[in-house]
Amino acid sequence: MDELIEILEDIKPDVDYEGCENLIDGHYLDSLSIISLIAEIEDAFDVTVPAVEVVPANFNSVKAMWSMIERLQEEE
Amino acid sequence: MDLPSLLMAGSLDTLTSYFSVAFLAIFLPVSVVVYAVIPQKARKYFLLIASFAFFWLISGQLIAYLCLIIMGVHYFGLWLDRIQTQKSAALKAVPKEEKKALKKVYLHRSRRVLLFAAVLMIGGLLVIKYSPFFTTNVNSLLLLLNIPIQFDIPSYIMPIGISFFTLQAVSYLFDVYRGLIKADDNILRLALFMSFFPQIVEGPICRYGQTANQLWNVKQIEFENLKLGAVRILFGLMKKLVIADRLNPMIKQIFSHYDDYQGGIIALGAIAYTIQLYCDFSGTMDAVMGVAQIFGVTMPENFQRPFFSKSISEFWKRWHITLGTWFKDYIFYPVTMSKPMKNLTSSARKKLGNHFGPLLAGSIALFCVWFCNGLWHGSAWGYIFFGMYHFVLILSGNIIAPAVTAFNKKLHINSECFAYKVFQIVRTCILVVIGEMFFRAERLTTGFSMFGKMVTDFSFSSLNYELMKKLKIDMHDVMIVLIALAFIFVISVLNEKGICVRGAIAKRNVVIRWAAVYALIMFIIIFGAYGKGYVAVDPIYANF
Repeated sequence: MDELIEILEDIKPDVDYEGCENLIDGHYLDSLSIISLIAEIEDAFDVTVPAVEVVPANFNSVKAMWSMIERLQEEE
Repeated sequence: MDLPSLLMAGSLDTLTSYFSVAFLAIFLPVSVVVYAVIPQKARKYFLLIASFAFFWLISGQLIAYLCLIIMGVHYFGLWLDRIQTQKSAALKAVPKEEKKALKKVYLHRSRRVLLFAAVLMIGGLLVIKYSPFFTTNVNSLLLLLNIPIQFDIPSYIMPIGISFFTLQAVSYLFDVYRGLIKADDNILRLALFMSFFPQIVEGPICRYGQTANQLWNVKQIEFENLKLGAVRILFGLMKKLVIADRLNPMIKQIFSHYDDYQGGIIALGAIAYTIQLYCDFSGTMDAVMGVAQIFGVTMPENFQRPFFSKSISEFWKRWHITLGTWFKDYIFYPVTMSKPMKNLTSSARKKLGNHFGPLLAGSIALFCVWFCNGLWHGSAWGYIFFGMYHFVLILSGNIIAPAVTAFNKKLHINSECFAYKVFQIVRTCILVVIGEMFFRAERLTTGFSMFGKMVTDFSFSSLNYELMKKLKIDMHDVMIVLIALAFIFVISVLNEKGICVRGAIAKRNVVIRWAAVYALIMFIIIFGAYGKGYVAVDPIYANF
């Protein structure tokens, strides 16, 4: 999870990622940040994020992102 | 209107307007009464029959096209589902290390089926809607190159709502392919999802998961739904009759004879057209939602107070929402998340940084979205320009965003204060009005000429009673439109604050409730633009 937070801080600093539960709905991450984030997640965790996974529920919090990554790793 | 003529195929093109007498006084009440008296089990089948009858009355034999699309969607959906089932069974039978390769095999198989199906669906739309435009341009090019070949320009009659139900068909297939929904083996449920009569003409573009089961499990009509649905239809009728249709003669006059008017008058025409388009389309959506609510069906909203947007990008999240989300889900993300685009994002981020890196892939996807969006509205260069205009505005907004933030910081401008937000809203509205002017202009070159006059000859000095007479509008019209707009503005502000006006009035006592409904009805009867001197205006979006 720390690696994921590092990626997020690199893409968009100055956000309290550990405490935030509405990263998408609260407009902290826009579509450009999501594009970067997905590319970085795929590189770092060796998963493929399909377009169907790009929904606010999967990106609103670090916890949600992490559980998506774990699920995708299991599926791979 | 006698019964035999009413029942002739394709005879009732007035039904394309949900505010027509044919719809509001005949088709809808008959449907509601029959629906209410038949047994519960038969209601879903009745809605399907009513939807097909509605389509048949407008488009006649072209109903065969809708049937073909439904059969195609049903067949390909089940095919995709079969591949998913085979994949699951095959994956269970192989060791872990072989799973990845096997998944790839099945992925390619379903991709081929999806591609073939999508080409068929979109291909049909392209041939019917765009081949005359394409052939005309090819002929012009050949003429320009002095090649003595000219092709006959094909001419097709479009089935009503083709641009809307084709997108629904494609979204269904994509959702099955992505595993978001199971393919429906019940072709009748699928047919009702594709053809439900309140939405077939102008949308909203629904996803299978949003409405298919609601429609198939409809229940008896509840008085509360009937009441709230009827009020929503009335509100839409007010937008259409009191504002959109009243402004129509003036808009027609300015856009047809723009050369006779000063730039300021043309700007007024462009503002009036933007208001007309909003009231026409969102008013129709109110009618659609209202009719659906009568049958107990909730449809996705298509408008969310677009003129309160602080940027063009936000505007398109609030205007024709279901089209925007369709493009986002089925074009923007698939393009940005394709392998080459992901690689481009990764390498560009390293060189250009966190903001401009992803912008490169994002702008390619954005270009595809806006090219398709422009073309979806119609086969003319003006529509393509309209798409490109918004592409450039949204892209520029993204490019200059860091500079604007730095600029505001340097000058200590509080971007969260009320005045700054008003500035952003006004700026967005001006950009929207310019875009809509090109959208409405008869030709792209006309749009440029009008814009040129707005810039070089911006004056209102010719505005007097004589000019208003020529524009087929008087002070009485202006006052009515302004009062109606003020009414919509107040309701919009309340909605923006999370207050549902319809719901709030419904909770008040019977006197206030009926007084509000009667006031709305009287307002429409007294101030609506209909009868002598007015021609009913076709719903603008039905042509797309």
